[in-house]
Amino acid sequence: MIGLILDALIVISLVGLALQAINAASLFRAILHFVVLGLAMSLAWARLDAPDLAMAEAAIGAGVTGALMMIAYRRLVELKPEGEPARTTQRSKLALPIAVASGLLVGMIGLAASLTEHRPGLAGLAVLETMDATGLGNPITGVLLIFRGFDTLLEITVLLAALLGAQAVTQRPDPDPSLTTQDPTTPLVGALLAIVVPLTVLVSVHLLKAGSSDTGGAFQAGAVLAASGVLLILTGRVEASDRPVVLLNLGLVAGLVSFILLGLAPLLQGGTLLALPGIGAIYFLESAMTLSIALTLVLLFAGATGLKRGRHG
Amino acid sequence: MSLNDGIALALLLAGCAFYLAGTIGLLRFPDVYCRLHALAKADNTGLLLICAGLAVLGQNWQTTTILALVWLVGLLASTVSAHLIARHAHRGGQKPSETKSRHP
Amino acid sequence: MMDIALPAMVLFLIINLVAGMLRVYRGPTLADRMLAALLFSTTTVAALLILAEWMALPSLRNVALLIVMLASILSLAFVGLPARENGEADEP
Repeated sequence: MIGLILDALIVISLVGLALQAINAASLFRAILHFVVLGLAMSLAWARLDAPDLAMAEAAIGAGVTGALMMIAYRRLVELKPEGEPARTTQRSKLALPIAVASGLLVGMIGLAASLTEHRPGLAGLAVLETMDATGLGNPITGVLLIFRGFDTLLEITVLLAALLGAQAVTQRPDPDPSLTTQDPTTPLVGALLAIVVPLTVLVSVHLLKAGSSDTGGAFQAGAVLAASGVLLILTGRVEASDRPVVLLNLGLVAGLVSFILLGLAPLLQGGTLLALPGIGAIYFLESAMTLSIALTLVLLFAGATGLKRGRHG
Repeated sequence: MSLNDGIALALLLAGCAFYLAGTIGLLRFPDVYCRLHALAKADNTGLLLICAGLAVLGQNWQTTTILALVWLVGLLASTVSAHLIARHAHRGGQKPSETKSRHP
Repeated sequence: MMDIALPAMVLFLIINLVAGMLRVYRGPTLADRMLAALLFSTTTVAALLILAEWMALPSLRNVALLIVMLASILSLAFVGLPARENGEADEP
């Protein structure tokens, strides 16, 4: 009973926060609502028994998107110093009908799903039956890499394509001063970095390793690692640069390249495409993907083609 | 209810009380510095009490270690955030509230 | 006993949060509004820790750890904003 009240409150807060995030009177409030929405969302995932998603939401929402929006807001303020950056988008007349229609649609699907007898699908059963043979304890990692490997391969490709697209359209000064915080040399910031950055790396490695049996995996580990990169950029320890760095580029493609090579390898022995050979290959692939995901997110945040040691580094 | 549960419950309730105090401070105090003061201190004490209560409930060292780590890192993060936000407000020329204290 | 007390506390913390969101509306300065976000991250952490115990999902403690680790990033990005004179009128 009390769980039901709790869930209802979380749902109401989510809807309220989402409405505020698109309707708030000022852009700054909209950003804050969006950040808070992310945190509330991770509570909702927690209640839905999905710690993997709660973790991804927390790492991306708290670590990367909030800072990204804050930086974007700062650039708007700097473009127009005399006042609050105005909302430039006009709401279409169709917005309300579309929102109501999609709300109804999702609601009806939810209702239908809750009314029909719950029976696990054949695919789900097949996954759980063959899970033991894979040596993985976490069915999510199993699905991502073994049963739906092709999807994951394409996801990694999309991430790389997104970065290349962003790099093609952004042109920032080198170094870009608006990425750095106001007083990056405050002693407290140094203390924070000295503790939090090593801890993030540790947690990231833990999540990568735990991903095979427990909550975690390449995406979560990569997002956490990316957050520490964002931290270093914000505090001026690392700077965006327009010169590509060879090692960095190798890291960017490491995930995709190793996925393709490991996916092709079974063909040589007459096996099937993307049938990953053994648990060692999965660990290797996950590590490479973590590195690529982290670097891609950091470079997307910096809007740059490379990174270099910063002025405060 | 065992003694353990009683201790845990007392700690957790005390933690919630501190959270409540922090929120009241955030809503009622006159200027940004006072609000910061209320929030950063009360919430971290609340977090400490809740972590302590949960550690009593959990009764194993892995849980306790993570809870301690969460509290310590939370303390660090909120210290740094409070410091940075206060400096930012100060640089923006915000004056502390002039309201006279009733207890001089 | 604990089966009711723990979710009740999470409920209480979330109501606390909703009340704290009032500060985002009232402002009056950007820094004031930021404080509400700060409140939200510490309270969410407490709520997640209690949920971890109640729902017997230990991984939620790692989620809480992640949130506290990354909480300062938003503040760091926020203080990059130019500090404005006379109370930062941010109303349109």
